[in-house]
Amino acid sequence: MAGPLTALRVRPTPASALPGDAPVVIEPDAAGPNRDADAGARQATTRGVVLGSARRSAGIAVLEVVVDGWRFELEVEPATRAALRERAARTQAGARGAGPQEVRAMIPGRIVSVSVERGDPVLAGQPLFVLEAMKMQNEVRAPRDGSVASIAAEPGQTVELGDVLLVLR
Amino acid sequence: MTSAHVVTPAPGTVPSLHKDVEGPPFRRLLVANRGEIAVRILRACRELGIETVAVYSDADAEAAHVRMADVAVRIGPAPAAESYLRSDRILAAADETRAEAIHPGYGFLSERASFAAAVEDAGLVWVGPPAGVIQAVGDKLAARRLAAAAGVAVVPGTLQPAPVDAEAAVGSLAEASRVGYPLLVKAAAGGGGRGMRRVERAGDLVAALVAGSAEAAAAFGDGAVYVEREVRPARHVEVQLIGERDGRIVALGERDCSIQRRHQKLVEEGPAPGLDPERRRELHAMAVQVAQAAGLHNAATAEFLLDADGRFWFLEVNTRLQVEHGVTELVADVDLVREQIRLAAGRPFSREAVDAAVKAPEPERHAIEVRLSAEDPSRAFAPTPGRIGRWVMPSGPGVRVDTAARAGEIVTADYDPLLAKLLVVAADRGRAIDRLRRALDEVEVTGLQTTLPFHHFVARHPGFRDGELSTDWVAENWDPDADRARALAVAAHVAASVAATAPPTEVSLRKDTREPDRGGWARSGRRGGVDRWPDR
Repeated sequence: MAGPLTALRVRPTPASALPGDAPVVIEPDAAGPNRDADAGARQATTRGVVLGSARRSAGIAVLEVVVDGWRFELEVEPATRAALRERAARTQAGARGAGPQEVRAMIPGRIVSVSVERGDPVLAGQPLFVLEAMKMQNEVRAPRDGSVASIAAEPGQTVELGDVLLVLR
Repeated sequence: MTSAHVVTPAPGTVPSLHKDVEGPPFRRLLVANRGEIAVRILRACRELGIETVAVYSDADAEAAHVRMADVAVRIGPAPAAESYLRSDRILAAADETRAEAIHPGYGFLSERASFAAAVEDAGLVWVGPPAGVIQAVGDKLAARRLAAAAGVAVVPGTLQPAPVDAEAAVGSLAEASRVGYPLLVKAAAGGGGRGMRRVERAGDLVAALVAGSAEAAAAFGDGAVYVEREVRPARHVEVQLIGERDGRIVALGERDCSIQRRHQKLVEEGPAPGLDPERRRELHAMAVQVAQAAGLHNAATAEFLLDADGRFWFLEVNTRLQVEHGVTELVADVDLVREQIRLAAGRPFSREAVDAAVKAPEPERHAIEVRLSAEDPSRAFAPTPGRIGRWVMPSGPGVRVDTAARAGEIVTADYDPLLAKLLVVAADRGRAIDRLRRALDEVEVTGLQTTLPFHHFVARHPGFRDGELSTDWVAENWDPDADRARALAVAAHVAASVAATAPPTEVSLRKDTREPDRGGWARSGRRGGVDRWPDR
C-alpha cells in the first residue's frame, strides 16, 4: 500500500464519528496497518475493504471507506493545513472553555513514548504521546493550548480505547 | 415458441411455467407484504405457475416486489398504517384483480385474526392457519393453557390474567411467590417485548403489573398480563410445523435462534446444536402436540426455551411464516412457501415434505442465517436509514441470499430495517461456519451502516463455534469498540492512500453519490484495482 507524499490527517466526519474517535496522522512513508498478522513477506491483502463515495467539502476530501463492515466517512487533508485551519478557528473562538481537558487513547495499543512532562506548557497540535497499535505508530496531539496538569500513562504501558492519558489545564 | 419478441401478457393470459400434472393450486394470488418476503413468495408463485398481484405504498413504487409481480396495486402512502396495514385496501385490491388467495408474509397483517377472517369472509383463501387458530394462540395465555392441557411443559407461571389493582395484589403476590423470582410480567397479547417487565423481588411486583398492563393496553388494546418465571440462562429453540386441512401435522425440524438482542433475532441456525436424535424427537413431539391441540393447519412455529438442565419449556406459537424459515428449507430441502400455498388449496403434503418430516430428528445438513439490517452495531443497533451505494451479495456453493434491496435504493425509516438474509448450508455446523465466514467476506455494502461487523464477529467467535449459545450471548460477548477502532485505523490508511495517489479534485469528484460506480478516482482506481483498494 503506497503512502501519501505529505503527512495527511484523517478523521471521521461528525456524522460518522463516535465519541473517542481521534484524528490519525498518516506519515508519508507509512506502510499502513497490516491486515494479516502472519503475512510476513507476503503482500497485505485488501479483503474486507470497500471504497464508497467521494466528495469534497470546504477543500477537504471526504472518502467513504468500509472495513469489515464498519462504514466510515473520512475527512482527509494535509496535516499542516489542518493544523493551521484549526488554530485559526481556535483563535476566533478565543479562550472560551478553558477548564481542564482529558486526552484519551483513540485506539487500544501500547504507549511508545511520552514527549511532555507534568507542568510543561503545550501548544495545540503538539505531539504528546506516540501510541502503537496494529504495527502503526499514532501521535496523540494536544487538542488545545494549555499546560500539562497530570500524566496517566508511561512508555511500555498498554492502554485501552478511551483511557485517560493526560489532563490539560 | 415461434416468436422471439418479448411481450407483456395482459393479466389472466400469463403463460404457465408449471408442468405439474396437478396444475397450479390457484390461478392468481395477492401478496400482502413488501421487501424480501414479498419477493420470496412471488418466487414460489412463479415456480407454481400462479399469477401474482403485488400491493405497494408510494415509497415502494419501484421496489423489487412490484417489478416482479404480474400486476401491482397502489394501496396508499409510505406509512405502514396507511398502506400495508390497511386491510380494506388490500381486500379491495384482491377484489379488483380477481385474486383467489392472499399470502400475508410475516409482520404487518400476518397474525391479525380479524384480517384472516375478513379474507375468508370475502370468499378468498388465506394462506396460513385459519382465523380461529390465530385468535386462539395469538393470546399467549390461551396458548399456555392449551399447551398445559395437552400435557406439554409450559414455562412455570400463571395461566390466568394477573389482577393488576392494589387490592387484588395479595393474590398476585402469592402466585408470584409460587412462580419464584426473578420473574417476568408479560402481555397476553404481547410481542417484541412490549408490555414485558422483569421483576426481581416481591416489592416491585405490583408496580410492574400496573406498568406492564398499561403498556400492553396502549400497544395491543388489551391490558391482560401474566407472570412467568425467568428461565435464564436459556436458549431459544423453535420447531417448524406444517399441517394438512384434515388435521395431519408434522415437524420439519428445529431452529436455534438464541442470538438475539432485545427479543430481535440476529442469527438463526438449524438443527439446534447439541441435541441428539432422541432429544430432537421429544422436542418435535411436544410441538406437534401443541399444534394438534390448537387445531393448526398450514404452517406455524412453536417456540420453546431450553434451560441449562436441558429441559424444554413451551413459550408460544407463531401462526405465520417466520423470517428464518429458509434455515429449515435448506436443512430439510423443502420449499415452505410452496408447501403453504399447496396446503391452503387443500392439497396434501408434498412428497419432499413427508420425507423431510421423517428425516427431521436426524438432519444431514446444517444451515445458518444472519439478518443483514440497516442498523449500527456500535450504537446499540439503532436504525440507519439512507441510500444504498454499492450492493454486492455473496454467492457460490451453499450460499443463499433473500433480499429485495438494490444499489441506489433508499432504505426508509417507515419499515423494518432488514436488508437481506444471508444463508449458508453445509454438511455439518463447522463447515457451515467456515462457509458463513467466507460468504460474509464477499459482502460489499456502502452508503449506510449495516450489521455486517456483528455478523463477522459472531462467525469468528470461538464460543459460537463451540455452540455456546444463550439469549444473553449478545450482551455478554458483543463489545464493538475495539473491533471498530481497528477497522478505523485501516480505513484511515486506505483513505490517505487514495487521497495521496489520486487526489480528489473538485472536477473529478462525483457530486452525486447516488451513482456509486461513475467518475473520478473511483473509476480509475477500480480499473487498476478491480473494485478493491489497489495494492500498487
